[in-house]
Amino acid sequence: MTDFLTSIGYGQWILHALLVLPLVGVLPILFAPEAAAKKIALAVTTLVFVLSAGLWWAYDPAVPGMQLTSLAPWLPQWGINYSVGIDGISLVMVLLTTLLMPLSVLGSFRYITRRERGFYALLLALETGMLGVFVALDLFVFYVFFEVMLIPMYFIIGIWGGTNRLYAAIKFFVYTFAGSILMLVALLVMVFRIADATGTLSFAYDHLLSHANLVGPVAPWLFLAFAVAFAIKVPVFPFHTWLPDAHVEAPTAGSVLLAGVMLKIGTYGFLRFAVPFFPDVAMGPAMSKVIVALAVIGIIYGALVAMVQPDFKKLVAYSSVSHLGFVMLGLWAGTVQGVQGALVVMISHGFSTGALFLIIGMMYERRHSRLIEAYGGIARVVPVLSLLLTFTALASIGLPGLSGFVGEFLSLLGAFEAHPVATIIATTGVIFAAAYMLWALQRIIFNRLDNPENEGLPDLSARELTVLLPLVAGMLWLGLYPAPVLRRMEPAAKAYVDLLQPRAASPAATTAGTVPVTPAAWETRR
Amino acid sequence: MSPSLDLSTPSGIALALLPELVLSACALVVLLVVAWRHQTAEDSRLAGWLSLASLVLSGAALAGLWARGVHAAGLPFMIALDDFRYAGAALVLLLAAGTVLLSLAYLPREQMLAPEYYPLTLLATAGMLFFLGAEDLIVVFLGLEVMSVAVYVLAGYDRRSAFSAEAALKYFLIGAFASGFLLYGIALVYGATGTTNLGAIGGQLVAGRMPLLGSLGLGLLLIGFGFKIAAVPFHMWAPDVYDGSPTPVTGFMATGVKTAAFLSLVRVLYEAFPGAIGVWQPIVGWLAVITMVVGNLIALSQKTLKRMLAYSSVAHAGYLLAAVWPGTRLSAGAVLLYLFAYGLTTLAAFGILAAMGREGERDVTYDSIAGMGQSHPWLAFGMSVCMLSLLGFPGTVGFIGKWYILSSIVSLGQGPLAVILVLASVLSAGYYLPVIMSMYMRPAPAGEPVRATFLARAAGVAVAVSVVAILVFGVWPTGAVNAAGASAGTLAQTVTPVAGR
Repeated sequence: MTDFLTSIGYGQWILHALLVLPLVGVLPILFAPEAAAKKIALAVTTLVFVLSAGLWWAYDPAVPGMQLTSLAPWLPQWGINYSVGIDGISLVMVLLTTLLMPLSVLGSFRYITRRERGFYALLLALETGMLGVFVALDLFVFYVFFEVMLIPMYFIIGIWGGTNRLYAAIKFFVYTFAGSILMLVALLVMVFRIADATGTLSFAYDHLLSHANLVGPVAPWLFLAFAVAFAIKVPVFPFHTWLPDAHVEAPTAGSVLLAGVMLKIGTYGFLRFAVPFFPDVAMGPAMSKVIVALAVIGIIYGALVAMVQPDFKKLVAYSSVSHLGFVMLGLWAGTVQGVQGALVVMISHGFSTGALFLIIGMMYERRHSRLIEAYGGIARVVPVLSLLLTFTALASIGLPGLSGFVGEFLSLLGAFEAHPVATIIATTGVIFAAAYMLWALQRIIFNRLDNPENEGLPDLSARELTVLLPLVAGMLWLGLYPAPVLRRMEPAAKAYVDLLQPRAASPAATTAGTVPVTPAAWETRR
Repeated sequence: MSPSLDLSTPSGIALALLPELVLSACALVVLLVVAWRHQTAEDSRLAGWLSLASLVLSGAALAGLWARGVHAAGLPFMIALDDFRYAGAALVLLLAAGTVLLSLAYLPREQMLAPEYYPLTLLATAGMLFFLGAEDLIVVFLGLEVMSVAVYVLAGYDRRSAFSAEAALKYFLIGAFASGFLLYGIALVYGATGTTNLGAIGGQLVAGRMPLLGSLGLGLLLIGFGFKIAAVPFHMWAPDVYDGSPTPVTGFMATGVKTAAFLSLVRVLYEAFPGAIGVWQPIVGWLAVITMVVGNLIALSQKTLKRMLAYSSVAHAGYLLAAVWPGTRLSAGAVLLYLFAYGLTTLAAFGILAAMGREGERDVTYDSIAGMGQSHPWLAFGMSVCMLSLLGFPGTVGFIGKWYILSSIVSLGQGPLAVILVLASVLSAGYYLPVIMSMYMRPAPAGEPVRATFLARAAGVAVAVSVVAILVFGVWPTGAVNAAGASAGTLAQTVTPVAGR
């Protein structure tokens, strides 16, 4: 496989192709007849997935650092370049994204009935944005993708969402925009301070990472700005209030991608930028206590609130707050196990919550209700749907042998040493998760079939099975044999943990600002 | 090698002023033509096309100067000869051409057939060119007045509208007031330094020796400029005037007038008062903060789009003041680039607004544009791009402008001002996004017939080109960014930099 990929020069073009192809796909959709839009979108996203699958082999886990890197000048005088590359973490996030895309498209076939062209065009634009975030190696480029991603999702929620969609859309937009634009200021402060100290004005990830210790006494503020931007995205309690609105109002594909990919962009941001840039601040005793506490609050609070939701979609939305809490806990564990656990939760949550939202969409198409009480006893009517729902719910709550277990176990195990009390409290979250999910299952699938409207429901069609089976397979595979995934993520996880080791205070930090600077744009300062 | 001009000789100054002279002469010719042809819509259109040709001619003269890199021999006298002036003048000519294109179909549609509209626009443009290129406070004043008097008339051009008359009167009274401040400031500065030449003033007022008289004069100058750029608390006139004027004129005021005033402000502050940076920097900084916050807050509560855009232009004056604040060449580039981004976007937005308001743009509310995303997909798309660009969203030129401003502020280590700027931008999402939301996410009002919207061909071309440019420069900003930086680099070369900055 690797030889074949090398023979077609796969590594040279693949990342660019992944970013460009969805955008190219937008054009035929806009000019095609309304009915063809979904087919084109499915074809494009499937093609992107097939192409991206090669990354699994093209990426070499034995080589540390970024791979398949390439660079093209964009604003060279300002040290800004279009620069992309992947490591093990980006790899799995890219694959998760490209996998969820065609499934979201396929899952929308019947759900989206009006203005289809616009919908699928926006989905494709969203794919470019999400992939760009994961492969960008230049902070300016990262920022642009991070923001641009908002627009398609804003429209998807606002146009095709539920009754309260306008409120949900603007809340989603303003929360994320406020966080990210503060991050932009922090980024600029960081870049200019490093330019003052090193004489090189550059937004390149490597450059910033290796000189991040030169920013001086503002480091805590910069970390806070980055952290808030990503915490809103994750979302970490108490920045989570946009999430239930957005997830519930969004159409199925929007919810799947929000939960499956966009939340992970927050944790990815912590893992890639916020913590590695400012490890001393992030892992300092005060900050790590705060963040671990917030993570644990998120786990427990998300689970408790999920328990009392009458709306099944809202229940799953709140369960995301809880699951992402495990990711944050794992990231702050400071051990390879914890980080790998966090990453596995990220993937597993993408599979299981993605599947749950898809199933909720299918239920909604049949009954036009998401209220748990509208169902009951449907196992007798739609056995296949009920089976898959049960399976996915079990994976979500972490039944051993399925994907959720591996991640949560590893992140709790990794975190136990550093934060024993927090870990013990967090573990109770697993029990709560079982409570809310099993209780909901009982009320939906089992109990008595007492609502006559539920009697004639059709079971899953072949299309719907096609949508769900890949995710089911993913949950099983990740639960039974996670080693290949873990092996690919290990170098990156190790690198992350190494960065966290306490360093001696750098003498350069105190002399920042005394070295003359050189680049052209920089000299235009008087 | 670049040719130099001796500005003390008549031929030298005439060459240096070629774009302005060409434009003024053409304005008189157009005025003469309309003296005979002033009856029908056809006549009005003829005057419009002639004006467009005049702008092109003036632009050609400008291009001649710019391409050869003509500069002054010795200290520039009366008028600047540097890329900063050339770039600014090119921008103003572009905005004027856009305004003319928007007006071509607008005037007949609104039954404003008196074709003197176009010569007035040309004269206002000539005044702007003088204003932004002036190297002497007297020329600053002359340019300002030529520009303002023409714009006063344009503001009241819709004779049958009481709002238009109110706008003209208000603008005239406040403008006269502002001119008074400016003139008094010039007098005091002259009293303190014995000269009105910017470079010479800069030479006199070196750091640490700022006489009280000079500080007072500088303060009055800032107030005068503050009125013209509609900075809070000197902004009270702006919403009513912007709201009452014919929409293309509003666009011209919000872009052209602002461009000229800001470029002149930069030149005056950076060339004449670099030694007094300690005096003006805090004033400009606070003005910027108040203007950003107040402008955005009031814009949030507007019902009609035209008034919203009026207040948003106040907010943008705040961002531009923040760009003026650092007093470095980087920040002069930021002002230039932001004016380009803002001008392009605002003109397109007003153009689309003019198309939406068949029965008067004053009535275009957030509710009345509901459903336009489906009934008029192209107009809605253009308006959305404009709103995102004004918001400063990546992918549009507005983001590049804002990023440049942030960079110029942050590179001096001034974090708080940058933070206030971005928080103000977040506020502005609260009124830009509802426009998009209303067009795409709300159904068209039931029962009412779909509002007739129409964009004439010339105006359509102008708007389409602007919208495409907003996106193109948002994605490939290299050329614009470098041009702004290079033009700003030629500013203030005769002035000794202030130590430590």
